[in-house]
Amino acid sequence: MMSISDMYVRFETPFGLLEAVRGVNLEIPAGASVGIVGESGSGKTVMSRAAMGLLSGSNVRREGKVVFNGRELTAMSKEEVRNQFGTGMAMIFQDPMTALNPVRRVGTQISESLRVRLGMDKKQAMQRSAELLSLVRIPDPEAMLRKFPYQLSGGMRQRVMIAIAISCNPELLFADEPTTALDVTVQAQILQLLSDLRRDLKMSMVLVTHDLGVVANHTDFVAVMYAGEIVEQASTTELFANMKMPYTRALLESIPNIEMKSGARLKVIEGRLPNPVDRPKGCGFVTRCTYAQQKCHDEHPPLVDAGNGHLYRCWYPLGHTIARKQ
Amino acid sequence: MSTHALGIVASMRKRKYTIPTYFAFAWLGLAVFLAIFGSFLPVDGYQVIHGDFIDSPPLTPGHWFGVDSNGYDIFSGIINGARLSVFIAIVSVGLGGAIGALLGITAAYYRGRYDSFINSTFNVVLSVPNLVLALALVAVLATNVDINEAVPTWRRLVTLIISLTVVIIPILGRIARAATLAWSGREFVVAARSMGMRDRDIIKRHIVPNVLPALIAVGFLAVGVVIIAEASLSLLGVGIPDGASWGGMLARGRNDLEYNPHALYIPIIALAFTVISTNHVGDVLRGGLDRREGRL
Amino acid sequence: MAGSGTAHMRNNDEVVLEVRDLVVEFKVGGGRVVNAVSKISFDVCRGETLAVVGESGCGKTTLGKAVLQLPPPNSGDVVFEGTNLSKLPKELLRSARTAMQMVFQDPISSLDPRMTVRDLIEEPLWVWGRGDDDERAAKVRELLNNVGLDPELVLNRRSYEFSGGQCQRISIARSLALEPRMLICDEPVSALDVSIQAQILNLLQDMKDRYGLTMIFISHDLAVVKAVSNRIMVMYLGKICEVGDPEKIYATPAHHYTSALINSVPIPDPTRKRVTVPLQGEPPSPVAPPSGCRFRTRCPAASDKCAAEEPQLREVSPGQFVACHHPRV
Repeated sequence: MMSISDMYVRFETPFGLLEAVRGVNLEIPAGASVGIVGESGSGKTVMSRAAMGLLSGSNVRREGKVVFNGRELTAMSKEEVRNQFGTGMAMIFQDPMTALNPVRRVGTQISESLRVRLGMDKKQAMQRSAELLSLVRIPDPEAMLRKFPYQLSGGMRQRVMIAIAISCNPELLFADEPTTALDVTVQAQILQLLSDLRRDLKMSMVLVTHDLGVVANHTDFVAVMYAGEIVEQASTTELFANMKMPYTRALLESIPNIEMKSGARLKVIEGRLPNPVDRPKGCGFVTRCTYAQQKCHDEHPPLVDAGNGHLYRCWYPLGHTIARKQ
Repeated sequence: MSTHALGIVASMRKRKYTIPTYFAFAWLGLAVFLAIFGSFLPVDGYQVIHGDFIDSPPLTPGHWFGVDSNGYDIFSGIINGARLSVFIAIVSVGLGGAIGALLGITAAYYRGRYDSFINSTFNVVLSVPNLVLALALVAVLATNVDINEAVPTWRRLVTLIISLTVVIIPILGRIARAATLAWSGREFVVAARSMGMRDRDIIKRHIVPNVLPALIAVGFLAVGVVIIAEASLSLLGVGIPDGASWGGMLARGRNDLEYNPHALYIPIIALAFTVISTNHVGDVLRGGLDRREGRL
Repeated sequence: MAGSGTAHMRNNDEVVLEVRDLVVEFKVGGGRVVNAVSKISFDVCRGETLAVVGESGCGKTTLGKAVLQLPPPNSGDVVFEGTNLSKLPKELLRSARTAMQMVFQDPISSLDPRMTVRDLIEEPLWVWGRGDDDERAAKVRELLNNVGLDPELVLNRRSYEFSGGQCQRISIARSLALEPRMLICDEPVSALDVSIQAQILNLLQDMKDRYGLTMIFISHDLAVVKAVSNRIMVMYLGKICEVGDPEKIYATPAHHYTSALINSVPIPDPTRKRVTVPLQGEPPSPVAPPSGCRFRTRCPAASDKCAAEEPQLREVSPGQFVACHHPRV
């Protein structure tokens, strides 16, 4: 469906060249749900925006190839890329409060896409909008069409945003932290909705999040990003069963787990992300890794295949003799 | 999120100042210099009439800016005008700013009916155009019951300053109020209360230092407003009498447009440069101070 | 309107904070009133960490602020170490506050950006005139070391130069300056990166041990809450649903809302996928909450009794109290 090759995204800042994404290769198969996991600063949002061609600004330097449905997006003009939005790819964002236009009614915002992309007239578009709203499980869609975003709760707004995104039946949906700003019960509803829609509309989905739990339950493949690169990538079941990258393991252990004993002490990842302007020579995780060796400081580890498509970027992955010794 | 700690302060130091900015600072510096040291310069007073040089164009030796049709030396007029403009601007904006800030900050911090009252008052006063308001105040304060008796100059000056101050109070007061509303909602104010700080200490230590930058920035813009207002009033004849200020020079030189235009152009240029400079400096200050708090 | 009951109150010598019949309401234009906290009672024992859990709109943050009387609640009593805060005159309340401090959700906005770290942490000491300059400086250093920051690197800088996690450490240091006996943490890690959360949670635990604090920990994150608390209180729309021992409640939640909450949390294990969504719909408006049990509009076990009569808290198993007519236990 989409393949990203060798993507680099750099920002020119007063402090120097900031490398947000370095050398990312990612395949998104048709009909699959791919999760991109990372903390803030890992580059995951920048990468997904860059893949869709949404990064703008005179200080942005993007390199690499993005191929969508056989067509090379990175070689197309801005106009042509924009034509892909809606019918080809669509994105839903993290903060539903700011992603919707506060001064326009819900119905207008949904039908705008339909009228521009699919050429519907006003009446048809409104009708279809109501259908879409019931598709995203909003009660009383007719009344909802006339409401303004400020009258809706966070969960409702997110559903509206999903309705807008799927209105033209895109083949690929990017979801950038779609539930981070929502309550946990609403999060469960929205994620289930996305899974069902994906199945019914036969879309592929890229789910960008920092929550390993979300990824575990709603994705087929996972790519873990750290400091601008993919450091581990596998099918979801394989990744959780055989974690290789110490970072992934550390991330899993540092997140409070609802199954832990109460009052337990959490395992901490010491240190901070490396400076994105002045990246260290070796592995980006070296200052925080409990298994770090000299080689990790000196040489940047490449992405290695463990067989069955499980890629990892580590000189001494978990299960390795050194790791086992400690 | 961690990248925002990469140093906002560093970005301020690296900021490039453009030529207009240097010019603006230089011009204002010159105006202040003239205001302080102007009377020590080796030029005749602005009231001295040079009968032999009437209508001299600029660059006449001894009268570098020329002489107007009445014989007044324009150069000394400019210097004296600078003194007056700076003085009036600093006093009006300073006093108006202080009063406006006091009212605005307390209104926004304590809220309730006091706030509604202050806010409405501000809005009412602001709805009257600056010039009209100043004119009305001058008319009321600077006239004597006996119309034959002239009003002393000092009284006209004081009246002028009072009316300009009243104009400025709601302008800066609103800025102070809006800024205080924004800052009072921040959690560090709740934190200060929770550690037992008195309200007046909270205002002094937390609100005022954070509101001050916005006030200073707009204060500079207000200086421009005051200078123009004063010039307009003088042009109309109700400001400083006898052509002491730049506006007064315009009033004096009204008839010179045909034969002696430099008598008008030069004060106009002085006025324009000053207002542009204060606006620009205010803008630059606002930008620089904003960045300190911003995120990358 | 009936309260949620007091069966769960312990009424012994160990109780440090006792809140009775607390009501907090906000006016929102048009004569309407938001019932943020509706006549609830609870207590906290010495050395305990009480977690107050709920989703947005349940009133937990309002509750935390009301305990500190910031602003004072509409009615109800807050008794801390024997003193009824609700009845104290302004000056005495000010000094009573030094024993209870708060850590806020947004680390950046809870610190004045114009002050240096030294000034920020010293400020509470200055307000109360504790110690002279040298003693205060030493105390500031000690506090910074305790929260894991190097004083030399940090003292003269301002909050915007630090990351969220570091700001939260500074905030915690400040709240400990007056050596309070109780700490109310309002979503202290929600605004932080996932891998930083663990650091701050461990820090809070360390500080609790070191200073012998009693804590109220407000959060929407059930997993976080489980890690830190020894008593948990679940709120929904201004009322208490369930109170008690976390191990028990997480294992066998008695209230249907608690159960839905727990089951909504995604578990990072792909072999344990959930099939159905635990809870449908949206919470009703706090302006016009449902009669009787406020959760009945979304509850799978709702009956007529639930609409007519508000359930009171009662013990359904040792250490577990629930306000429900048809509890799961």
